[in-house]
Amino acid sequence: MKTLQYIWRNVMRNKLRSSLTVLSVGFSLALMTILHGYTAMQDQWGIEASKHHRIVVMSTMGFSGDVPIANVDRVRGMEGVIAAVPYAWYGGVYKDQQMAFAQFATDPKAVFDVWPEYKIEADQLKAFQDDRQACVADHRLAERMKWKIGERIPLQGTFYTFNLDLRLVGTFEAPQNTDSLWFNWFYLDEGLLGKSSEMAGNAGTIFAKTNEGLEEATVCKAIDERFSSSENPTRTQTESAFAQMFADMVGNIQLFILVIGLAVVFSLTLVAATTMAMSMRERTTEVAVLKAIGFSKLRVLWMVLGESCWIALLGGLLGIGIGSLCLEGLHSISSQLFPFSIVDMAGPWMFVLLAVAAGIGLVSGIVPAIRAAQLSVIDGLRRVI
Amino acid sequence: MTNSNYEGPIVQIQNVTKEFRRAQFVIPVLSGINLTLNRGDFMALMGPSGSGKTTLLNLVAGLDKPTTGSVEVCGTNLGLASEGTLSRWRSQHIGFIFQLYNLIPVLTAYENIELPLTLTKLNRRQRDEHVKAALEVVGLTDRMNHYPRQLSGGQEQRVSIARAIVTDPTLIVADEPTGDLDAKSGSEILELMRRLNEEFQKTIIMVTHDPNAAARSKRILHLEKGILVGDTSRPVLSGATT
Repeated sequence: MKTLQYIWRNVMRNKLRSSLTVLSVGFSLALMTILHGYTAMQDQWGIEASKHHRIVVMSTMGFSGDVPIANVDRVRGMEGVIAAVPYAWYGGVYKDQQMAFAQFATDPKAVFDVWPEYKIEADQLKAFQDDRQACVADHRLAERMKWKIGERIPLQGTFYTFNLDLRLVGTFEAPQNTDSLWFNWFYLDEGLLGKSSEMAGNAGTIFAKTNEGLEEATVCKAIDERFSSSENPTRTQTESAFAQMFADMVGNIQLFILVIGLAVVFSLTLVAATTMAMSMRERTTEVAVLKAIGFSKLRVLWMVLGESCWIALLGGLLGIGIGSLCLEGLHSISSQLFPFSIVDMAGPWMFVLLAVAAGIGLVSGIVPAIRAAQLSVIDGLRRVI
Repeated sequence: MTNSNYEGPIVQIQNVTKEFRRAQFVIPVLSGINLTLNRGDFMALMGPSGSGKTTLLNLVAGLDKPTTGSVEVCGTNLGLASEGTLSRWRSQHIGFIFQLYNLIPVLTAYENIELPLTLTKLNRRQRDEHVKAALEVVGLTDRMNHYPRQLSGGQEQRVSIARAIVTDPTLIVADEPTGDLDAKSGSEILELMRRLNEEFQKTIIMVTHDPNAAARSKRILHLEKGILVGDTSRPVLSGATT
């Protein structure tokens, strides 16, 4: 019999109590898994964006301001810019589903030059470029929506006054799920002109691919200087800074949620500690016997900590399992808030959560372990002898 | 610290006093104890409740230290040893038998007996040999895979004895080993202890209230109010019953 076997027997001694403790630790870590996954997914956009040398030109007024379509060509002509496209968020309703997925009006001729890491079949790209009403979608979005090539996709405008009648001509592969659909900006603009809308001619934002040899900040500065004295001054930033701007919008909420999550973990650590303390209190005589027959303080300490860590790690594994399933479920429900599958997220952070579980085990077990280690054999034995 | 070739008395207690402090009160428990126990002795320690029997046993077993005087076991002065040293020393030299057996409920009889051996450097095969030998001595080979709750009181105490002897200790200390048993089981346990003493030359100190149990020993010590009032060496009554 090994000491680990003995520790495991102690874990299984009171199955109900151990199970409840494992469940309490598990659910708190599942919550942490979901929160951690959510924040990590938000951060991932910025990390991913920083690899691709893209910049975003928007109005100094923010999303409510205009970026004239003529500025796209001007940006294209600037030093260090390889390609640029208008990129306007449409935000339409699809079959009564609001925010079912992201829809962007862009330039089919250049959009895959701005996002060269996105891959599309050449014939599908040609079809996208040749037909004003054509659209392409992330293949994962197409799979989720069960769209086939040639499928008609009607979108009802929410703040744009023109409704779209799109036809899916292709799907693209992106390194991570974008949950996006792209259509021709000029189709939207023609529709808006036909309705004499004031929103016509607005590119929304401009996404541009820059030369890797140049500092993105220099290009951003040059663009903003170029338009500073125009009617529509711009604020240009790197794509990662743009992503961070979005993250910052909900930053306080993230922090708030994280603090609540930590508070839950802390309170359940105390619950686990109470359970361990009760368990050890019931075993005072047993600990005294172990010490009487020669078990050292350190060995007793290690055994009790081993037991609490076992329970916490089981809870941790359960928590990560439940949390991952929840994240996967949330991803399938809302790919916009949870853009990546758990497969994309699996990695070092799971080890971080296991370390958190081990930490809960250590914290919850340390006081009972020290008390057991310091127990006087005579006091412990006096209870029964 | 311990001389393995030590040939003197197993236990030598000189001018030992023991006091406990409770708040501002000092409670004397033992005073002026002098005692020598030789290899192969089987000594019963008797006396009324509160007379200091268990305290004396704890001193001999290295679980407590005297207030004054010296307690030497196998040539080791226990009063001078650190707690860690005493832990190791106990694992090598002392076998414990408790009134309520104190077996670990989540371990089988075999595993309970093996427990003290996990502190040694013996390998799995050697541990197995030791455990099976101890099981054979106590006659419980057929129950080795049973958990304590599946054993009778007498069988549990026999497992406890096997656990006490499995490391081949120099001294066995037993605190009321038959106190929780019926007469028949108690008698079997006492007979087993007599065998350990006579056949295996184990040195035993046994605390008991029971004169019949004490009658199985070779020597009886009487304590009253912490003072040794009687020391009788006597022939063993192997037929005596509890």
